[in-house]
Amino acid sequence: MQGIILFVLLASTYLMVIAKRMPALIRSFRYQSLCLFGVTFIVALTQREPELYVISGLLFVLKVSLIPYLLYRIIRRIKVNEELGLFINPQISLLWALAFTYLSWIFASYLFSSNNAILTGTLAIAFFVVSAGMFLMVFRMTALSQIIGLLVMENGLFLLASTVSGGMPFFVEIAIFFDVLVSVLIMGFFVYKINKLFTHIDVNKLSRLKG
Amino acid sequence: MLNLQPKHLFLLDPLSLFFLVVIFIVSLPSLIYSFSYLKGEYSAAKIMLAQVLLLAFVLSMALVVSVSNCLVFIIFWEIMSLVSYFLVVFDTKHAKSIQAGLVYIVMTHIGTAFIIAAFMILRNYAHSFDFFTIKNACQVLPLQTKNIVFLLFLIGFGTKAGIVPLHIWLPYAHPQAPSHISSIMSGVMIKTAIYGIIRFVMFILGVNSSWWGVLVLILAVISCLVGVIYALMEHDIKRLLAYHSVENIGIILLGVGLAMFFTSLNLPYLAVFSLIAGLYHLINHAIFKGLLFLCAGSVYKATGTRDIEKLGGLIKKMPQTAVYFLLGAMAISALPPLNGFVSEWLTLQAFFLGAFNLIGGSRLFLGICAAMLALTSGLAAACFVKAFGVTFLAQARSHYAQNAKEAALSMRIGMLILAVLIVIFGLAAGLIIKLLAKVSGSALGIDISRMSFSLNNFTLTPQIAKNIYLSTPSLALWLILFGIAGFAIYRIFGRGKSVIYKTWDCGYYRLDSRNEYTATAFSKPFRIAFSFFLMPYRKTQKIRESFYHVKSFTYETHTTKVFKKYIYDPALAIVFKAAKSMRRIQPGSIHLYLGYIFITLLLLIIFMGQF
Amino acid sequence: MMAILQIIFFIVSAPLLSGLITKIKNNLRMRKGQSVFQPYYNLAKLFSKDEVIPEAASWIFRVTPFVVLSSTLAAAMLIPVFIFAAAGCHIGDFLALVFIFALGRFFLALSALDTASSFGGMGASREMFISSLVEPALCMVIFAVSLQFGSTDISAFSGRHAITISSVVAALALFLVTIAETSRIPVDNQETHLELTMVHEAMVLEYSGRPLALIEMASYIKQMIFFFLIAQIIFPIGLPAVNITQILPWVLWYLARLGVIAVIVALVEVTVAKMRLFRVADFLGFAFVLGVIASVCAILGV
Repeated sequence: MQGIILFVLLASTYLMVIAKRMPALIRSFRYQSLCLFGVTFIVALTQREPELYVISGLLFVLKVSLIPYLLYRIIRRIKVNEELGLFINPQISLLWALAFTYLSWIFASYLFSSNNAILTGTLAIAFFVVSAGMFLMVFRMTALSQIIGLLVMENGLFLLASTVSGGMPFFVEIAIFFDVLVSVLIMGFFVYKINKLFTHIDVNKLSRLKG
Repeated sequence: MLNLQPKHLFLLDPLSLFFLVVIFIVSLPSLIYSFSYLKGEYSAAKIMLAQVLLLAFVLSMALVVSVSNCLVFIIFWEIMSLVSYFLVVFDTKHAKSIQAGLVYIVMTHIGTAFIIAAFMILRNYAHSFDFFTIKNACQVLPLQTKNIVFLLFLIGFGTKAGIVPLHIWLPYAHPQAPSHISSIMSGVMIKTAIYGIIRFVMFILGVNSSWWGVLVLILAVISCLVGVIYALMEHDIKRLLAYHSVENIGIILLGVGLAMFFTSLNLPYLAVFSLIAGLYHLINHAIFKGLLFLCAGSVYKATGTRDIEKLGGLIKKMPQTAVYFLLGAMAISALPPLNGFVSEWLTLQAFFLGAFNLIGGSRLFLGICAAMLALTSGLAAACFVKAFGVTFLAQARSHYAQNAKEAALSMRIGMLILAVLIVIFGLAAGLIIKLLAKVSGSALGIDISRMSFSLNNFTLTPQIAKNIYLSTPSLALWLILFGIAGFAIYRIFGRGKSVIYKTWDCGYYRLDSRNEYTATAFSKPFRIAFSFFLMPYRKTQKIRESFYHVKSFTYETHTTKVFKKYIYDPALAIVFKAAKSMRRIQPGSIHLYLGYIFITLLLLIIFMGQF
Repeated sequence: MMAILQIIFFIVSAPLLSGLITKIKNNLRMRKGQSVFQPYYNLAKLFSKDEVIPEAASWIFRVTPFVVLSSTLAAAMLIPVFIFAAAGCHIGDFLALVFIFALGRFFLALSALDTASSFGGMGASREMFISSLVEPALCMVIFAVSLQFGSTDISAFSGRHAITISSVVAALALFLVTIAETSRIPVDNQETHLELTMVHEAMVLEYSGRPLALIEMASYIKQMIFFFLIAQIIFPIGLPAVNITQILPWVLWYLARLGVIAVIVALVEVTVAKMRLFRVADFLGFAFVLGVIASVCAILGV
């Protein structure tokens, strides 16, 4: 069961990487968070700790419902071209994603040489998700993709932490969730402001910060 | 690691006490002076700020010379540099102050970087920052390391002291600071660098190689000559004094360098003697340079200009300031019986005694260095004849000087204290040398109980020489007696009265101040004689109305700033070029910056295992 | 007692030396010339004249003649004329002598600037230029001479018996320095008042009457001191303090040495033309080089 969910997570990450428009990106992010929720819920069921229930609940509320809703709202408000500017076209992005997957697999097996394939696989997927977040931040032009990249990285780290050590301390998790929420709110506001000032959110055109 | 108890933190041996005396001797009159100087120039809040900064400055300098831990030393050294930077740019109305402050802070931090490097190397061997621990560790330091540390210290402290070619900040910073701050900076702050050299190179490192002393001597001679030649060309009274500081630091370093040279050759009496000469000149210079800057400040406050070509005749309008300036000028030109004469005589005598007691070619080297010192003292006298004569004597050359008034009371009191000290330090030479012998002995680690430096309290007799005497009180006495005798002859003999009439004017009527000699004209023979170094050039501009009628002709003569043109400008150009080429990694794209972050993270993760 | 007498003798005979040089020059120019005692008559004349003080002058102008005279007399105290120990041997040594002369020169230059005339400024500028270049040459001479005795005291080289190459070369260097310091041709001309050619005379141009007499006296004494030093370096002689009866041959010997130097100076003055001011730098550089050669000879022990 866990394997299937992980597979779907992987697929949603690939979808994010090849997405060309903003709604597609947000949708795939939603799927990814849903899968993450699934994984966490299964772990909570098997370990029967109340904290994990709370965390998975929070995950569902925030990452599956609230944050995508906020992101959709931002897109509607700013009314810009919904194209995500791509530095690298979707096909090559997919190739890059495959390369990253392979590298994370090697890295995970180097770090954690155990016989449990699921565990190594989960680790690899976690690393890959983090690097997919980095990829989104670097190779997509709009500000929104950078927000989402950050969120995806956080997803990946959460997955990593919960696999390796059974989760981080409870309060740290809560704090991280709220941090993420607040940062999305703030960044949404900034995107709105950027759009108001520059009538676009193409970060590539904002290049005054140079030497 | 850091023992903060006062017993371990402070070091009050004779050398530190001596420098504390120097600091307070100059700071106190400057403080008294500043009360009237700042009044009327700035708002009350700014004056309060100035006084607070001044107190912080003096306190930081006092702490620099009295701590015994390298880390604390650097902390207070940095505080001293920063506070003096704020004082240099205090007069923010002038753009020149800001530029001066920039040059000053950059140069002083380059020097501090070298000092920190030296401290780090020493700590590597001694595993502690405490002076005495390092001193013990230095006895087993390998020679190569010792040489490197010596060079680092020399460059680091040399930047602060103003050794050529690191002197370039002095002519920028000293003129722009308020005058009482200039007097403290020139009189005391650059001496803390000499303290650093004596403490770290002679006391802690221990001098074993004779080339150290020779290097310091050569640098000192070059500083003397360069400083005084540039001073001769200056017409801004405070820049002139700043260049003279470079020259006098050279003279102090002649004494210190000789002490290093003699220590490495195991001649303890001569080493102590040379260090006495160097330290005597140090305190003398602090006093008379402090006085000269205070007088320059009074002149600036009274007339509004620092350009001596626009002044003149001030001796009648500011008689007391003129007397103090004259005393300072006489002291810096080494005229008997004042203190500058005693310290230069001692330095020359140190050279000569060294030559008598050595063998071989180094004697000629010492002789030539002594001749160069004599040359600089002659040139310094010429420069101060120019400075005093053009500023104070004859008639006023412009409206600036015509409306001058005497300085306020607290300014005069400050100057009076230093003037009295000049005379005291000149006459009480024998006594002061005994005190300085203790200081030198402790700095060099030599037992001086069996050495004698004077016959009685009034006469100086080096023990190692035959029949050399100097007695400033009796010299002063004879000078006064002969002067009185001359005056008596003048009054008693001959008939005839005194008539006051116009100066000889070759038959022209109405000579005015335009017939007086200008400072540029006064220094022209020197400009020509030293033209191989000064490289003067002229710029002329003719504006013609027609072929036959020239409407105006502008003539400017400049001297090339050799160090700036050939050393610093190319170095700065290289630095800026390198920085410009590094700009290419910052094109402004956020994605690229993010990419940098991630690649660095990746590389760290990959290579983390190796550490 | 002896010491004071020797100083008085020194002072009294100073103008005579100058008169002697002028007489010899005039004779070389095929003229009868003024009498040898003319400087004394000049001084007496000056004492009876009025004094004119420029309007622009301050107290420095009035004080300078006394400072110059007192510094020169104090320098004379350091010279051992007949006896080994000079009157003021505990006051200073050869190096102090140089600085004491600097005192007089400093005030003279200041007073020249004080008069607010172009001549004064010009004279002061040229004089300070020449004197600052004299200093290294003089220092090397002192170095060379004192290397042989281990002391910079002037009476230390009074009792030598041998004439060495180093002392001859040092004396030659000192001779060049003396020409510069005592304002003789080829550095300066004492007989002219033309703006192009005067240095020392330009500084004292505004002085008249009794102060001028004092300044002239001081320059005679300075000349005497320098000539004596040259003579002492080449033909050293000295006399332990004895009674007055044995003085006479030594007085004659002393006068003879000075006479020889006076003749040489007069010959130089008559035969050589005055140099341009900026050539004086080369001239004094040559004196410096001679001083270095003398030091090298002294180090080698020659």
